Amino acid sequence: MSIDTETRPFAERVEERRAGACRMLALRTLVRDVVAIRGSFKVYPDFAAGQDLVQDLAVLLLDKGTRRRDRFAIAEALESRGAQLQFFSDGLRVVFSGRVLRDDLSEVLAILAEELIEPLFDAGEFEKARAQLAASLRRSMENTASQASAALSRRIYGRAHPNYQPPPEEDLERLATITVDDVRAFHAKHFGANDLTTALVGDLDVEAAEAVLRERLGAWTQGTEQASYAEHAEEEAPGRSLVPVPDKQNVDVRMGHGLPVRRQDAAYLPLFLGNFILGGNFSARLMSVIRDEMGLTYGINSSLYGISADYEGHWQVGVTLSRENVQRGIEATVAEVQRFVEGGATEAELAEKQTTVTGKFKVDMATTTGLAATLLRNAERGFDVGYLDRFPDEVSAVTLEAVNEAVRRYFHPDRFQLAMAGMLPDEGAV
Amino acid sequence: MQVIENEAGLSRDVPEAFTFVESSGGIEEYLLKSNGLQVLLLPEAAAPVVTFMVTYRVGSRNESVGLTGATHFLEHLMFKGTERFNKEKGTTIFNVLQRVGAQVNATTWLDRTNYYELLPKEHLALAIEIEADRMRGARISAEDLESERTVILNEFDRGENEPMRKLYHAVWTAAFVAHPYHHPTIGWRSDIEHVTTVGLRHFYDTFYWPNNATVSIIGDFDRAEALRLVEAQFGKIPSSPEPIPTVYTEEPEQRGERWLAVRQAGQLGSVMIAYKSPAALDPDADALDVLAVALATGKNSRLYRRLTDQGLTTHVFASASRFRDPGLFYVLAMLAPERTHEEVERAIGEALEGIKEEGLSEAELARAKSQLKAEEAFSRDGPFAVASRLNEAIAAGDWKLYTTYLDRIDRVTLEDVRRVASAYLVDERKTVGHYIPTRDD
Repeated sequence: MSIDTETRPFAERVEERRAGACRMLALRTLVRDVVAIRGSFKVYPDFAAGQDLVQDLAVLLLDKGTRRRDRFAIAEALESRGAQLQFFSDGLRVVFSGRVLRDDLSEVLAILAEELIEPLFDAGEFEKARAQLAASLRRSMENTASQASAALSRRIYGRAHPNYQPPPEEDLERLATITVDDVRAFHAKHFGANDLTTALVGDLDVEAAEAVLRERLGAWTQGTEQASYAEHAEEEAPGRSLVPVPDKQNVDVRMGHGLPVRRQDAAYLPLFLGNFILGGNFSARLMSVIRDEMGLTYGINSSLYGISADYEGHWQVGVTLSRENVQRGIEATVAEVQRFVEGGATEAELAEKQTTVTGKFKVDMATTTGLAATLLRNAERGFDVGYLDRFPDEVSAVTLEAVNEAVRRYFHPDRFQLAMAGMLPDEGAV
Repeated sequence: MQVIENEAGLSRDVPEAFTFVESSGGIEEYLLKSNGLQVLLLPEAAAPVVTFMVTYRVGSRNESVGLTGATHFLEHLMFKGTERFNKEKGTTIFNVLQRVGAQVNATTWLDRTNYYELLPKEHLALAIEIEADRMRGARISAEDLESERTVILNEFDRGENEPMRKLYHAVWTAAFVAHPYHHPTIGWRSDIEHVTTVGLRHFYDTFYWPNNATVSIIGDFDRAEALRLVEAQFGKIPSSPEPIPTVYTEEPEQRGERWLAVRQAGQLGSVMIAYKSPAALDPDADALDVLAVALATGKNSRLYRRLTDQGLTTHVFASASRFRDPGLFYVLAMLAPERTHEEVERAIGEALEGIKEEGLSEAELARAKSQLKAEEAFSRDGPFAVASRLNEAIAAGDWKLYTTYLDRIDRVTLEDVRRVASAYLVDERKTVGHYIPTRDD
């Protein structure tokens, strides 16, 4: 097989194969020696019952030993090759990612399968993982950014939505009640080849990789239990949540509201571009006005947050403000957002951001890890590989009318929920 | 045009304005004869993108009392524009570059400041034009300085929110009393509050010259065309009218253990133990790199097994700084709930004593080298990753530290690791910091 070059479309360059239960997306590039791995499968935890915490524990324990090898032996098999392999939770899914040298790909894929299918879930390791997760939750309590984002999520979603983030105190209480048997049962019922996809990019032998995936993951059965989840936001009346975090001069502020939009909806791209014009990068309106002109913040942005093909997400404006500037900063931000929503974007702004997005799309795929992440995300959304070839044209084809129509229809700063965390100014001042 | 030969004996067309200096690991070094600008080229056509980067050999190491944070402040003002690229004309640097999808930013650290653009290859000329324009054309106005001052103060406050960052800076500040590695790169708050355009302009006029800079071009580009563009844009800039000042302050020998505590409201504590370590280009730094990996990278590392696996810590890191001047070798440990600073500090001390007495095993050395080798291969994945590593080598004083790194690591022996552990990890040159969370509101 000849080495692909970037001039051919993705639809021709990416090899999509069924390796039994595992869908493989493989792309050879000109990079030397390196292969990036990225994959995922759906586990459907019961969010309403707080089962996402059990999922987090299961994920933490995947690399702590299997039924064949203890944690040190399995780590040695990776570390002696310099290979990296990580697991994390992402809403309904468990994601795995890694980088390996070309000659080690088959062995590392075999280890990946062993960790996914046959984890040991040793009782002693479970206790350590639980302590580790407890420490991580406690450290998050002193992180103003994560506290503000989590507080906003609680104003927008109900407990059963994948984007809902419980208060850390609540998670800590629940964590104390989880047993290793809960984790084992969760793995037995929820882990499996549900929408299992693996993207491999770099200096790889596609045939050999497919053979290993078929042998090791091809016969993995589907998880038997799929809890239902909330697909829509469930908002409180507009209001605010204040999370006091002592000794923090910088206050993180988040404002936003739910968006009845999914990634595959026709409204998504115009809305994405509209949001980008407002707060997508350094030259967007919010950075330009609130940071560059007014000097009120180091960082401000807006984003379409937590939107997937499976559920809706929300629109969020995030700003970081020194304590003395909190009131002024919030007022100026809301005013700028309102000005944007009322006045809309201009032709020049749209044209600029269209080339920004299409150029950035190219730049983001300059690495094997960037390419693997893009291939996987595209597949998770249910899009064909050819969408990656069509995406720049689709972005360029969005009209100003469509952008401003989407902005008017979906963005409502008057419905903003507000959350902030840090050493808060006096009550009444904000 | 002149014809030069590279490592592989292949001829290259090079504009007359440049002198070919040398090549190593696929990177070619040229010098722009008219002004001393160093140019590094690494053609890699793996993707249709290119990284353009200017590294100025100025960082917080070059700052004095009253002007701490000046390098970083100036880096911010460099985005406020020039006569050609500015807000009034609708041509801010971010506008113009992000319009074409460029990833653009700048960073400041102890020994250097770098400005970079990662962009589709057809826009390389634009990046070169902008960086050349702002090398001598930055406006540095009083109005821009005032609006940016509060931005930087907010950046400062964000940093103050993070106890681990405060601990890290506190240890460096205690470990270095004379050398400018003493102060954090962002500067002291009062200096940020009071710095003037006069101070920043002086700083700019002292250090922002072609003979104090390195241009790196990495990715998919045509060599001769890229050099012609560099010549056209940077060739018109003269070299500095005065020699670039050198830093002559040396840190006096540390003759006793130093101890400090950082108290801030929070949940779980941490411990940092640091020892004076050699400058980046010293061969001993290679053995210390290997030691740092063997100590804390991966689940089979000494400190992971001794601390995290035993439930004493949640995370443990080790690193040997590779700066232009001597720095620190340090271990940073985040405490698990119910564990004390003292028991963690003691466990780290015992692990380090074990290395000094017995050294590493053959397997540990081999594993650490494999990890460094793989990391190096990963760092060649994409032009931006290469630029990031090359940038630090330039800052350390020799860009070839990047291209020869694996050879240097290959040469490290078991005896080297034991020798450097015994030579550097000594109490007389140790600084210990504890982050102690308080619960008061």
